[in-house]
Amino acid sequence: MSTDTLSKPAPTPITIKELNTENPRWCAGCGDFGIIMGLKRFIVERQLMPAQTVNVSGIGCSGRAPNYFNTYGIHSIHGRPIPIALGVALARPDLNLFVHAGDGDTLSIGGNHLIHGINKNFKAVFLMYDNEVYALTKNQTSPTTRRDHPTNTQPQGSFLNPLNPITVALGLGASFVASTADWIPDHLTNTIKTAFEHPGFAFVHISQRCPHFDPSNFDHKTSTWFSFLKHPNGIEPDRRLADKTEVLEHDPSNLAQAFQYGAAERRYFGLFFQNKEKPRYDQILHNLVDKAVKKDRSKILDSFLV
Amino acid sequence: MSIEKRPVTRFELLMDAGTGAQKAGDILLGAFVHMGQYVYVEPMIPAEISPPVRSRPALSGVIIRLADFDVTNIGNDTDLILAAHEIVLDRRLDDNEFNVNAKILLDMGDQEANPDSYEMVLKRCTKLGLSVIPFTVDAESQEIVKQLGGKGQNLHYLGMLSYIYNLDEEIVQAEIVKTFGKKLKEEIMAKNVKLYHNGYQLAKEKVFFRYEVQTHKREGDQILIDGNTSLSMGIIDAGIKLYSGYPITPASSIMHNLAKNFPSYGGVVHQAEDEIAAIGTAVGSYYAGMPAITATSGPGLSLKQEFIGFATAAEIPLILIDVQRSGPSTGMPTKTEQSDLLSALMGSHGDYTKIIIGVANVIDCFYAPHLARYLTEKLRVPVFILSDFQTANSYKVVKKFQLAQMNGNVDEIPDFILDRFHMKRLTGPIEMVKTVQTTPGTEGGMRRLTGLNTDDKGKISYFSDDHQHSHAVRNEKIHHVRRALTAPEMFGKDGNEVLIVGWGSSRGAIEEAVTLCEKNGVPASGMHLRIVYPLPLMLKELFAKYKNVLTVEVAYGDKLKPSPLALLLRSETLKDVQPLIADATGRPLRPRIIMKKIQEVLK
Repeated sequence: MSTDTLSKPAPTPITIKELNTENPRWCAGCGDFGIIMGLKRFIVERQLMPAQTVNVSGIGCSGRAPNYFNTYGIHSIHGRPIPIALGVALARPDLNLFVHAGDGDTLSIGGNHLIHGINKNFKAVFLMYDNEVYALTKNQTSPTTRRDHPTNTQPQGSFLNPLNPITVALGLGASFVASTADWIPDHLTNTIKTAFEHPGFAFVHISQRCPHFDPSNFDHKTSTWFSFLKHPNGIEPDRRLADKTEVLEHDPSNLAQAFQYGAAERRYFGLFFQNKEKPRYDQILHNLVDKAVKKDRSKILDSFLV
Repeated sequence: MSIEKRPVTRFELLMDAGTGAQKAGDILLGAFVHMGQYVYVEPMIPAEISPPVRSRPALSGVIIRLADFDVTNIGNDTDLILAAHEIVLDRRLDDNEFNVNAKILLDMGDQEANPDSYEMVLKRCTKLGLSVIPFTVDAESQEIVKQLGGKGQNLHYLGMLSYIYNLDEEIVQAEIVKTFGKKLKEEIMAKNVKLYHNGYQLAKEKVFFRYEVQTHKREGDQILIDGNTSLSMGIIDAGIKLYSGYPITPASSIMHNLAKNFPSYGGVVHQAEDEIAAIGTAVGSYYAGMPAITATSGPGLSLKQEFIGFATAAEIPLILIDVQRSGPSTGMPTKTEQSDLLSALMGSHGDYTKIIIGVANVIDCFYAPHLARYLTEKLRVPVFILSDFQTANSYKVVKKFQLAQMNGNVDEIPDFILDRFHMKRLTGPIEMVKTVQTTPGTEGGMRRLTGLNTDDKGKISYFSDDHQHSHAVRNEKIHHVRRALTAPEMFGKDGNEVLIVGWGSSRGAIEEAVTLCEKNGVPASGMHLRIVYPLPLMLKELFAKYKNVLTVEVAYGDKLKPSPLALLLRSETLKDVQPLIADATGRPLRPRIIMKKIQEVLK
């Protein structure tokens, strides 16, 4: 079995138009539009072959994403895109693999798979669509809903402090942790690009607007409430906002500093942490097969002879 | 001294877990096979690793059925028990599986410290009319066992059993060396061999009976294999390339075996973080074009149900092995049962389609993956292989299987495998819900799969006609199989007072029960189903030839609640099928009990 290779450029250039399928069935103003556009821009920029590209998703608004890419895709069940993606990675290491998961997929029903996807560090770009609410099921508290925010299941206001996806991922030993937002397209595309080049499981957190259920959550018109993390080995701040927004130098090999930014009240967009040396489970399994003493299938029962 | 010649006999060795009863059984088996006798071995294993010694849960043993003909099941009852102490004996007597004339060799070594307990158990034996032959391990052997840190008692018992079953001492010694040879130092090996010979000598002096079973010369290459090992080698021969599983008794040994062997044949073994992830990765692999399989047992089957429905809707091939154990819930992990049938049949929500293959023995285990692959790739519906604890762990000697060495094209499946499962090759075009069925990487074939309903282009659709159409197409796939099924395997005469029906591991007991009935003038025939779902179309006609159709199942049922197979057969045929045996005792079916129950019905 060959190890993974980045796909060759397509013979005729791929355009955004060719990547479209139908009009997405999302609400007007939904942040998911921005996210899939960001990924499409990256696919066009890199000229990834659609036939060699697989989007895997779970359930919820974000789960619909693969349906809107004219690539291969699998819109699976709630919380389980990571195990499916691993199956694809083991079967076809040559394919470009993107996992799309909501906050419920990632940190609630699929939490166990996140732990092990991160630990297995197989080659995939993991996009966490975090709108901080269960939206498709009509406004329930999610693991990332901010405290005291009322929903249909906790009308008194969300009871608990939300889980912090960045520190969770860092704490699990992720080899790549970045954060971006649906409304900063250049930064989003650059983040996906950096994630795609990462040799392992690239955890990308994306703050995503849900104008229907929580319109006031992200103030996408101002940029005083967040900062960009910048570094030669990191992700460039968004071009349109760079001069209006705080930009901090952060070395992505500095794990302690990454935890500090991750745990802070303020939001930081950029590359928190990267370690290109973490062993990859998919490679380990493939190497096991490659290096095993080859045996003749016509003799498989010989050791049982009496 | 008399040597009693018998066509078939059964004995068991009972010890504390971890003291080597299974190993002793393996060695005996090797020796019997070497001498040309037929054996069927059932290990009795506690669910715990090392329960406290001299306690009832510690019972670990091996049951060996020895015959001068090919035996297909563990049989009726035991003629001889060798017990390491009174507690394991007392525990085993509860199962009520001994012959009225059974002989019991009881090691009295623990009596001095536990006089009351011994007295109680000895009284119980007297009450049951069992003859107990007490013995004590000789002083020299006791000393050796002490030197070996308490190990080696099994070799002593092995010696005693070798004498009683008239085994050649040299052959057994060779088997001991074969079994332990690489692991033991020469000096330790010598001590073990000494223990063996001392045991043999002890029996020679103290035991005044011996059994002899006629030997046969066997034709062709023979292999010794258990159900789970056979399944794992079948997986390799069927051309499957990825195994994805999570540890669970009694399915785990499939993964153990593949972990050792699969990479040498280009296969990947993935130990997932949980049962759901295990099936998810199998689905992902098959989706990407690499044939994959997952295996589990009852609790895992419950966890996997959502993915089974997903594979049905998305039309992704899926093969799932369920090695059944006693349920519900954690139940009895190391006891056999056949009660997951309905869970496979109806466990996932909505009208999901599926095919269920039941394996009867180690030969079926080897070929079930081939058939499952053929069906799942042709039809793109989930295929279950249902085994059970008994089939998984029992082992016997069989003629070496003919290999199929399947590769990419499942149409290459040999006819003899389809014949074995009583079905014809699928013919004609098979319609899919989605007319395009490309695999990732195929140029120009980009498409999206989803668990949502779709139209024939694969586009999400909530239109009523599309949904009804999807159901019809999926079910038609199963009807293709229904029509391809030939008459199931029958035993005994065509048309009779009674027909006993079973599936999976009950085959051996059914076959033998029918032979027994014929010998005793009991008008009963038998049927065994290898594909349990769908059922063949002519089943109703076949049932019409029998006055009573009765199921034999290792699954619970009673007067008000039909057991799983009875429920299925009733609904499919409208015949008043009743359970004859619906015993969820964790113990295998016994041919003589089946006959007895038929006689009661006919009264």
